[in-house]
Amino acid sequence: MVLPGAKNTLRRRAFFVTGIKALAGLFGLGLGIPLAGFFLSPALKKGRQEWISIAEVTQLRDGEPTKITYRYARKDGWRMSETRRMAFVLKQADGGVMALTNRCTHLGCGVDWNSVTQRFTCPCHGGAFDAQGRVLEGPPPKPLARLPVKVEADTIFIQDAYA
Amino acid sequence: MSRIYRFLDERLNLGPLIRGIADHEVPAHADPLKNLSAMIYCFGGIVFFILLLQALTGVFLMLYYVPSPEDAYASVNYIQNETSFGSFVRGIHQVGASAAVVMVSLHMARVVFTGSYKKPRELNWIVGIFLLLVVAGFCFTGYLLPWDQKAYWATTVGVNMVATIPLVGDFLADALRGGKEVGSLTLVRFFVIHVMFLPAFLVFFLAAHFFMVRRQGLSRPL
Ligand code: FES
Repeated sequence: MVLPGAKNTLRRRAFFVTGIKALAGLFGLGLGIPLAGFFLSPALKKGRQEWISIAEVTQLRDGEPTKITYRYARKDGWRMSETRRMAFVLKQADGGVMALTNRCTHLGCGVDWNSVTQRFTCPCHGGAFDAQGRVLEGPPPKPLARLPVKVEADTIFIQDAYA
Repeated sequence: MSRIYRFLDERLNLGPLIRGIADHEVPAHADPLKNLSAMIYCFGGIVFFILLLQALTGVFLMLYYVPSPEDAYASVNYIQNETSFGSFVRGIHQVGASAAVVMVSLHMARVVFTGSYKKPRELNWIVGIFLLLVVAGFCFTGYLLPWDQKAYWATTVGVNMVATIPLVGDFLADALRGGKEVGSLTLVRFFVIHVMFLPAFLVFFLAAHFFMVRRQGLSRPL
């Protein structure tokens, strides 16, 4: 049995159900997008690149990468933190200067220059690189990363890899 | 969506559960569609909705907030100026706190003016009073967290008010502050009370509140 007016009631109910769903959806988006953006904000942020002076050209050894440790104040979330980093700087044949990070391209351990074997070796899984940072053996998939470098009045500046 | 629901319903027989939670008749005197002034019966629901918003935004704010005297202000500043949507999320939490107090007051006024606190609903009124205290506790503890001048002095004054209670006042004030002065210990315990203790009380009392409303139904106006 269909009651008189039942059709209208149903239409009215359907209208409200759709309306409520639409409102809820709108509200969910209005809240969901900002909350997701808030959560992801550090991952989406681009750090500012600054030139950091790390050494004088005269400090460099000939034909071999020179290990240089430098400190600089880095923005770490809501605070500044003094960070200590390591880079290897190498005079090129053409007189230019090249800077490599010490960060292994496999899983991020710190590589060190071995002047006896004349190669970078990684303590973690046996990765090895030549003086130019090219992979010699082990699991690393890519050569060591080069840092942007410039020389001004014999002072070497680099940009940090993680900034 | 409806297919997922059907899948679950087939296995778990959700129908009666959902009917029990969501599908019940609104009495005519409390139906805003029949009479707009019945909106006053929505105040409690609105409070609940605001509390959900507060919980949600609060959880997200904890991603960045650090409850230590060195970091608190700087981390709030970071939320406010250096995260995307940070001022929006914190804004909701801040305005929501005030809105919750306003709506709680209106909800209580409605309950008083419709005489809904009377027998057989006295117990729910009492639970409601506990909820009022919990909300007040949220406001009081949350106010300290930005660790700015206003926060610091508001807490100093608020705790000194506790200290005026005869006999036990000083002891209670020290317990609340974690010492003789508002400091690191105060900040951490206010934070933990704000995000752990009070939410637990809130959930407990809200559950009791809702259980009783559903058991007893809405009261009729006088
Ligand atoms: S991290 Fe260097 S070899 Fe695995």
